[in-house]
Amino acid sequence: MTCIVTAGLFISGCGGTPEINPLLKEAKEYYDEAEKDSLIVVKAPVAFKEAEEELRRSQQLWKDGEDQELVAHHAYLARQKVAIARETAELNAAQDEVERVEAERQRVLIEARRAEAVAAEQRAEKALAQARKEQMEAERARKRVEELARIVDEMEAQQTKRGLVLTLGNVLFDFGEATLKPGGIRAVEKLVDFLRDYPERRVMVEGFTDNIGPSDYNKKLSLQRAEAVKQAMVQEGIAPGRIEVRGYGERFPVAGNNTEAGRQNNRRVEIVISDGEGYIPERGV
Amino acid sequence: MQNIDTRLKNVKGHGIAIGLAILFSACGSTQPPVQTMAETRAAVNQAEQIGARDYAPLEFREANKKLEQARILIGEKKYEEARRMAEQARVDAELAAAKALSGKARRAVRELREGIRVLKEEIERNQ
Repeated sequence: MTCIVTAGLFISGCGGTPEINPLLKEAKEYYDEAEKDSLIVVKAPVAFKEAEEELRRSQQLWKDGEDQELVAHHAYLARQKVAIARETAELNAAQDEVERVEAERQRVLIEARRAEAVAAEQRAEKALAQARKEQMEAERARKRVEELARIVDEMEAQQTKRGLVLTLGNVLFDFGEATLKPGGIRAVEKLVDFLRDYPERRVMVEGFTDNIGPSDYNKKLSLQRAEAVKQAMVQEGIAPGRIEVRGYGERFPVAGNNTEAGRQNNRRVEIVISDGEGYIPERGV
Repeated sequence: MQNIDTRLKNVKGHGIAIGLAILFSACGSTQPPVQTMAETRAAVNQAEQIGARDYAPLEFREANKKLEQARILIGEKKYEEARRMAEQARVDAELAAAKALSGKARRAVRELREGIRVLKEEIERNQ
C-alpha cells in the first residue's frame, strides 16, 4: 500500500516545475558560506568534499523532479555534513594550535627554569653578602667592646650594678662654688670623646656634698655642680638631651663625714654611663 | 526466490514480475535497513564515548531521538522512512562527535595558554 502511494507521489512530482525545496535552499546557503571560509577549505578538505557531494546529490534529485521528501532528506544530510566539515576544520586548527602553544610552553618552561636559577643565584649571593655583613658587624661590635673597655679603663670608670660610673673628685670646684675649674674641664674631655664615639650612650651626672652646712643648701649646690659639668659637656658639642643631672646633697656618702679625708671623698660628682639602649637606672632611694 | 523463479517460467507472468520489480525499486527497500541501523548505532556510541553528551547535547539528543524513531518505523515496516531517519541520525551523531572533538581541542588550547600565563607570572615574580 505504502509503495503504491509513494509511486503515485513520485509520478505527480514529475508533473509540474517544483518549487525550490526550502531545506535545499538552506543547505546551499550554508555550503556557500562555508566555501568562503578558507579555514574550512584548507583544514577539512575531505569533509568539505563529502558535504559538496551530498549537496550535488540533493540538487540532482531536485532537478530530476524526485520526491520532495527525498530531496529534503539529502539536503539535511548535506547541511549537517557542512557543519561536520566546519567542526573538523576547527578541530584541526585547534590541534595545530596545541602544537604551537605546546612549543611555546616548552620555551617558557626553559625560561622559567633559567629565571629560577638566576633568582636562586641572586638569593645565594644576597645571603653571602648578608653573612659577610653580619660577620663585619660582629667584628666591629667586638672591637667596640674592646675599645669601650679601654676607654673605660682610661677614664678610671668603675663597673657597678647601675653600669659604668665615673667619679670626679671635688678638686674640680672651689669651696662653696659651682663653677668648674679648668682642671675639671679637662677631666670631662675624655667623657666627651667617649660620648662622641658612642652616640647611643647617655649619661647621668650626680652631684654630692659632705654634711657641712644646711642640707637644702648642700642639695642646691650639688645640683648646680652637676649642671656645671653638664654645661661643660654641652659646650663641647654633646646634645643636652643626652645628659641628665641630679643633685643629692649630703645623701649617699661614700665615706664617714667625721674626718676631713672622709668628707673630701663625699664631695664628688659621679657620672653614670647608660647601657647601649641609653637607659640609666635611677639611684635607689 | 523460488516463487519468482516459478513465475518467470510462466510467460504470462513475465510482465507482471517486471512491473513489480520497477514498483519495488521505486519504493526503495523492501528489507529492513539493517546495515544503516548498525552504522548509526556505532556512530551514536562513538559520539557518546567522545563526550558528545556534554559537548554537543543538542545534536547528540537529536541523533538518539532519530535512532529511536527509526526503530519504531522498522516495527511499522516503513523501511524506506526508517533508513532515511537512521541516515539522519548517523549524520547528527557524526556532527555531535566532531563538535565534541573540536570542543575538547579548543579547551586544551585554552588550558595550555593558561599554563603559559601562570608560568610567565612566575618568571615575573622571580625577576
